[in-house]
Amino acid sequence: MSLNELSEKVELTLSNLSILKTGKAKAIRFTTLEAICNALDCQPGDILEYANDDDIRTMNR
Amino acid sequence: MSKRNIFIFKGLHIVAWIIFVGLCIDAGGLVVNFIFSLYKPEYVQNLYQKLDLSQMYNLNKWVYYGMYGFILAIAMLKATMFYAVIRLISKLNLSKPFSSYVADQITRISYYTLAIGLISNIARQIAKNLQQTGFEVDMLNQFWGDSQAYILMAAVIYVIATIFSRGVEIQNEIDLTV
Repeated sequence: MSLNELSEKVELTLSNLSILKTGKAKAIRFTTLEAICNALDCQPGDILEYANDDDIRTMNR
Repeated sequence: MSKRNIFIFKGLHIVAWIIFVGLCIDAGGLVVNFIFSLYKPEYVQNLYQKLDLSQMYNLNKWVYYGMYGFILAIAMLKATMFYAVIRLISKLNLSKPFSSYVADQITRISYYTLAIGLISNIARQIAKNLQQTGFEVDMLNQFWGDSQAYILMAAVIYVIATIFSRGVEIQNEIDLTV
C-alpha cells in the first residue's frame, strides 16, 4: 500500500505520515493507531517497535 | 484574535516605535555631544539637554569620561532593548505565540533590562562616592534613578521568558503528536 493510499484510509495528512515514518513523532494518539491498525489489518505490536536511543542514532547514520 | 487585541497590539507597536525613536535621538545626541567634547572641551558645559559637566571635567578628565561612558552605555542599551521589543511585537503571532523566536527575544529583552539595571546601579554607587569627594553629580541622577526598577523588571521578564520556553517545548510536542 502506498503512503497516499494509507493517508486517504486513515485520514492523516502526508506530512503527518512522514513524521511517523521518519520517527520524528513525539507521540501517537490512540485514534490514529486504531485507524492505522484498521487500514493495515494488523495489531499495534506489528507496527510499533522499541529501540533505545543508541539504536536510533545508529539507524539514523 | 479579537478586534480588541488587534487594536491594542497595533497601539503597542506604534508606542514602541515612538519610544524607540525618542531613545535613539537621546542616545545619538549624547554620542554626538561626547565626540564634540573630545575635540572641543568648551562644549562640556553645555551638553545634551543642558547637561553641564564642566566642574567634573575640570576636576578630573577621566572621571568625566567614565561617567559619560556609563550614560552612553545606558542610553544605547535602552534603545537596543526597545528595538528588541519592536521586533518581538512585529513577529508575534497571537494565534500561535509559542515559537522559539519569541522565547529567545523575550530572554534577550530580560538580559538587556538586567544590564541596564546593573550598569545604572553601579553608576549610581560610583556617583554617590564621587559626590563625597567633591564632584557635582546631582544632574546625573536622571540617567540612573530607576536602576532597581530595571532589575526587578528584568527578573519578571526572565520568569515570563522561562515560562515561554516551556510553552514552546509543549507546543513542539503537540505539533509532533500524530
